[in-house]
Amino acid sequence: MRGSFAKRTMAEPLSQVVASMPRGRFLALMALFLGPAVAIYTLFSIYPLIATMALSTYTTDSSGAYQFVGLVNFVTLLTDAVWSKPFWNAAWNNLVFFAVHMLVQNPIGIALAGLLSLPGLKLKSLYRTVIFLPTMLSVVIVGFSWNLILSPLWGVAEGALKAVGLGSWFAPWLGLPSTALVTLALISVWQFVGIPMMLIYAALLNIPDELIDAARVDGLGHFRIFWHIKLPLVLPTIGLVSILTFVGNFNAFDLIYTVKGALAGPNFASDILGTFFYRTFFGFQLQLGNPTMGAAVATVMFFIILAGVCLYLFIVQRRLRRYAF
Amino acid sequence: MAGLHIDKINKSYGPARVLADIDLSIVDGEFVVLVGPSGCGKSTLLRMIAGLDAPTSGDIFIGNRLVNALAPAERKIAMVFQSYALYPHMDVRKNMTFGLKFTGVEPSERERRVAEAARMLRLEDLLGRYPRDLSGGQRQRVAIGRAIVREPDVFLFDEPLSNLDAALRVSTRVEIARLHRLLGATMVYVTHDQIEAMTLADRIVVMNQGQIEQVGKPLELYYTPANLFVAGFIGSPAMNFFPAEVESIEGDKVRAKGPTIARVTLPAGSLTRGSKLTIGVRPEHLTAGAPGDFSTTGAVELVERLGEASYAHVRRADDKLMVAEIRGRDTPAPGQTVTFSAPAEDVHVFDEAGRRL
Ligand SMILES: Nc1ncnc2c1ncn2[C@@H]1O[C@H](COP(=O)(O)OP(=O)(O)OP(=O)(O)O)[C@@H](O)[C@H]1O
Ligand SMILES: [Mg+2]
Repeated sequence: MRGSFAKRTMAEPLSQVVASMPRGRFLALMALFLGPAVAIYTLFSIYPLIATMALSTYTTDSSGAYQFVGLVNFVTLLTDAVWSKPFWNAAWNNLVFFAVHMLVQNPIGIALAGLLSLPGLKLKSLYRTVIFLPTMLSVVIVGFSWNLILSPLWGVAEGALKAVGLGSWFAPWLGLPSTALVTLALISVWQFVGIPMMLIYAALLNIPDELIDAARVDGLGHFRIFWHIKLPLVLPTIGLVSILTFVGNFNAFDLIYTVKGALAGPNFASDILGTFFYRTFFGFQLQLGNPTMGAAVATVMFFIILAGVCLYLFIVQRRLRRYAF
Repeated sequence: MAGLHIDKINKSYGPARVLADIDLSIVDGEFVVLVGPSGCGKSTLLRMIAGLDAPTSGDIFIGNRLVNALAPAERKIAMVFQSYALYPHMDVRKNMTFGLKFTGVEPSERERRVAEAARMLRLEDLLGRYPRDLSGGQRQRVAIGRAIVREPDVFLFDEPLSNLDAALRVSTRVEIARLHRLLGATMVYVTHDQIEAMTLADRIVVMNQGQIEQVGKPLELYYTPANLFVAGFIGSPAMNFFPAEVESIEGDKVRAKGPTIARVTLPAGSLTRGSKLTIGVRPEHLTAGAPGDFSTTGAVELVERLGEASYAHVRRADDKLMVAEIRGRDTPAPGQTVTFSAPAEDVHVFDEAGRRL
């Protein structure tokens, strides 16, 4: 009795407590700590993923019964003209969508972060908040607003351009097949440019002041300091921003759906993988929903993103070095 | 090569006055050390010489050239920082040549300078390494190398050794002294470390609360501190102070007495009867037991034995502690009452305002 009391009150290092535990209790403890996370992750992420992949290997016959067909759905998707044409169109458009973000959103985000990190800039937190504000709005609201702004009938864009003498530049950008996709991408850039800015700004703040002072003594101006010192030191963060952009863009759906609907017009000019998947899976207007083909599209999207992320993790990230200051 | 002249420099951050009317002239080739308590404005002054911060008012001349409006790179200065501030993404060679590229130094000349600095600092084998692969001492040598290749008129050091361990500090200190002899350049050096200040400096500038308290050779500051602040700041352990009052005046001598000290005879100066004084005696000038011009008595509370000497912490009559250095093996036991004395030439006298008499 006394012995067990002493044992309980003595402060032992936790690792020893765990090591001397009976195996059964140790496993029970593991289950207690890891169980909830594993259960939720399995239920909401792993199971749907595997179920989708499984579904993509079936097809429905005329009676509605499921039939295992192996990889036939994928072959159809990639080679049958009826399926492959819209698929490749959506994949290409998605790539353009991503490219606009990489070439416009991220450089602007980096530049804004660089400007924000300049010493002696007034109203820093105001700029930061204003630029980040659209990120917190719903995509539906942003899409709807820009739809109104750019509308050739009642939008303010034409009037605003006329007011500065550029009225002839105006075109119904969202309605032209040649400009719809890029316009949508730029709307998305407008909304989300705050995210790369914030991430890179945080990384820039990490660079010690003495390092910048040393560069000034070495004769570098603000721009050269940014280009030769700050930028190389935040490359890992820029890599991270790029991969986040990639994943976000190849999962995008909401903006296009809000502005252009599921048909992603005009004439599928703004169709990306997300909207293509939506029409395939749920069907739209004359097109009937096809869950097994839809699952195949979803699986292909998963592998595209997986390939991109692996490329980054195993090739790009290994070459980027993080510096401790 | 050039001297440095600072004329009535002021610096305020809003209402806070960080530097007040700093005047300082440094001759060509001199090694000047700035010391002072934390926050007294040493780094601020150094950064203003470098051109990293602008003074609120006042002029800075480097070799007769007014440099107020010049960028750091145009001032012919080089600065070594406490954190080394090496570019982490460049190897040692690139770290040293990087700045030269932007000041229009030919590649062959850059190579020559790097080779020379590397030889001087024994960095030849490290030129291809990155800062992360260097020890603290090696990094600091690279930082000094980066300063040398600029061939500046004035070197500025801001606590360059304070991130190094004790042994490395000593060897790097010797290295810097050797470099100063070798290059003959003007150097301004900020430190917290008294030993660094005393060993390196041609002259020491003691600063306090944005003002210069005294400028002088190391031994001048030690033997004739201009005021109470310098007397208490220079020397370790710090000088003991005793309050006293003038008792009588006889010709060019005065007799003074205080609650913790026996009667002492001092040169008269401008004193009158009843003047309040502060008398200062360094721990290393107090002797136990022997008779002397100055004497004070107290109870030993604690003895710290360092080997070559011991420090006795002694409780005085006014309940304050004083420190006496005791040489040799015989140390008083705690609790023992001991009389300490000092010869007149080791007694410092300060008037009521804290100025040396
Ligand atoms: N940007 C600033 N804004 C307001 N006050 C400042 C600024 N920079 C420095 N100070 C103040 O100026 C004073 C002097 O600072 P400085 O860095 O020169 O001290 P220092 O003598 O180098 O101290 P240390 O020995 O701790 O390095 C300090 O009281 C500090 O708080
Ligand atoms: Mg400082």
